[in-house]
Amino acid sequence: MAGVSNAAERSSAGESRDARTVILGVTASDAHAVANHLIAHSLRDEGFDVVNLGVNTTVEEFFAALRDHPDAEAIVIGSINGHAYEDLLDLPEERAETGIDCPIILGGNLSVGSHKSDDHLRRLYDLGIDHILEDADQIAALLDKLLAARTADDAEATAYAVGEDHHT
Amino acid sequence: MSERTDHGPESGGHHGGDELFKTPELPPLADSIAYIRALPKQTVAEVLRTAKARGKVAVQPRCGVGNQHEQLRLLRALEAGAQPDIHTLTIDAHTRMRRFDQALRGIRECPQDLNGYPLVGHGWIRGRELNDAVRAPIQIRHGSPHPWALFETTLASGFTAFEGGGICYNLPYAKNFPITESLALWREVDAVCGDLAREGIIVDREYFGTLTAVLMPPSISLAISFLEAVLAAREGVRCVSIAYPQGGEIVQDTATLRSIPRLAARYLPETVECYPVLHQYMGPFPRARRRADALILYGALAARLGGATKVLTKTHQEAFGVPDTDANLAGLATTHLAASELLDFVALDEDRVAEESAWIEEEVAEIVEPLLQGGDLLNAIPTAFAEGSLDIPFSASRLARSHIVPARDLSGAIRYLSSGALPFSERTLRRNALQLDDGDGRPPTRLLDRLSRDINYFAYADGPAGP
Repeated sequence: MAGVSNAAERSSAGESRDARTVILGVTASDAHAVANHLIAHSLRDEGFDVVNLGVNTTVEEFFAALRDHPDAEAIVIGSINGHAYEDLLDLPEERAETGIDCPIILGGNLSVGSHKSDDHLRRLYDLGIDHILEDADQIAALLDKLLAARTADDAEATAYAVGEDHHT
Repeated sequence: MSERTDHGPESGGHHGGDELFKTPELPPLADSIAYIRALPKQTVAEVLRTAKARGKVAVQPRCGVGNQHEQLRLLRALEAGAQPDIHTLTIDAHTRMRRFDQALRGIRECPQDLNGYPLVGHGWIRGRELNDAVRAPIQIRHGSPHPWALFETTLASGFTAFEGGGICYNLPYAKNFPITESLALWREVDAVCGDLAREGIIVDREYFGTLTAVLMPPSISLAISFLEAVLAAREGVRCVSIAYPQGGEIVQDTATLRSIPRLAARYLPETVECYPVLHQYMGPFPRARRRADALILYGALAARLGGATKVLTKTHQEAFGVPDTDANLAGLATTHLAASELLDFVALDEDRVAEESAWIEEEVAEIVEPLLQGGDLLNAIPTAFAEGSLDIPFSASRLARSHIVPARDLSGAIRYLSSGALPFSERTLRRNALQLDDGDGRPPTRLLDRLSRDINYFAYADGPAGP
């Protein structure tokens, strides 16, 4: 049996899903590792190739990983300690500088205190987070949905390129 | 100790012009020794020795806030309300990571946002103020792979117990801090404790066997703590506490605690005092108060049955965040109740406990003895983590493989579903496989679901785990 994953390890556990790559990590100030391990394992179980950057990962590191893995379908970020907003403040600048436009999915305990308001989510979306999930079990389904949407877009683009009627 | 001092730009008294918050320069070690000798209180080691002699469990809460007056108030409230045997000063995350400037800014601007007491920023004079304010001695608990500045301020403040080690305060707390380096830094801490022991001042050194807090197989917890204790003893440390986190199955928890003195006799010199410590449950806590209180009572009872010398308490607010004073007091009160000798009639099947202990000690031996026989332990440990012959589950550090997969058996005891590259014998592997063989007991489960279920063992009992 393969282990429950290791930080920065690319595992081929599970059947390969034609190299569907996902970048995974926990925000910069956060050392909570357990959920990260479980999500990495679960995605590998689903056949994903997981580049797990582990805990204490800065926005810059996430984007450096994207440059190494330009085929990555998404960046999946976890945050448990309530500091998600502070930890992700560099996101707009990093996106603008790199020009990399890859979906960013966020989940976890996203603010301090046990009472959550929509304001906390809105300011995270304003930073450029594309999707916020309440449950890690939803990640694979969201990735499938994003891939389907992109495949449809690509098919459309290809169809136009070769001058075919894409309705056929 | 001058060659070991660490007055870098971030340690010492150079933090801007505000005289009120200027951190005082450290006093000479001789001054700190004289201060400790003159303290009208026992050291932590003396409290533990007394507790062991009387067959009692010393009780210790957690406690740490950013503001000096709030910290004083909190320590006094806990002492007045529950008479803990040992106090805790939990250190904030900035100080743990040596971000002393951020900690100082926190002290000045928003101490309520710090998640612990910034001892280096407040400085040793304020440390002594805390020490002088309470009868019970104070232990420093933190989680720093690089503890030197904090350790210096600890000694200058007259605190006689310092938790941590080069493995247990690295792998669960840092992503990429070289194990060789953390071991070297903690070796210096131990060497100073050795110097102090020769002066007659015994500093208790506790190892955080809790590691990553959930589903920790007892033998991995004990193996790592004893490796750290062996290294400390070689530097002259005379008092070690081996801390183990309550797993939640009473026979296994009792057996683990009872193994500690036998393992100490096997691996540590006779000159070293060694105390078993239980942390009440460190995994996800139930949200319902009654169930949380029951789990606290269960932990305290496990400590007593297992012969722990000390128990670290939890609170019924555990599932929600940092507890308030009343919750902390309630946790101490419940723990005192369960640790009472009036409950001595509670007994376990001694044959099962003995059998479990024998298994645990065999697993520990299989993990640690190849390393202890190998000679250069300080070099062997980082190599072993790289190869996986030492490993922990759910590591925050990428320097451990985390190929260990723990799981609960039908009784709730924690076993190895996978032991990765741990050097286990066929006998040990077979035994773990048999223990986890559910037969027809449960339907087949995906590994992730099984791990989630086993991690949330107590939290699920009162409904969904929540956030």
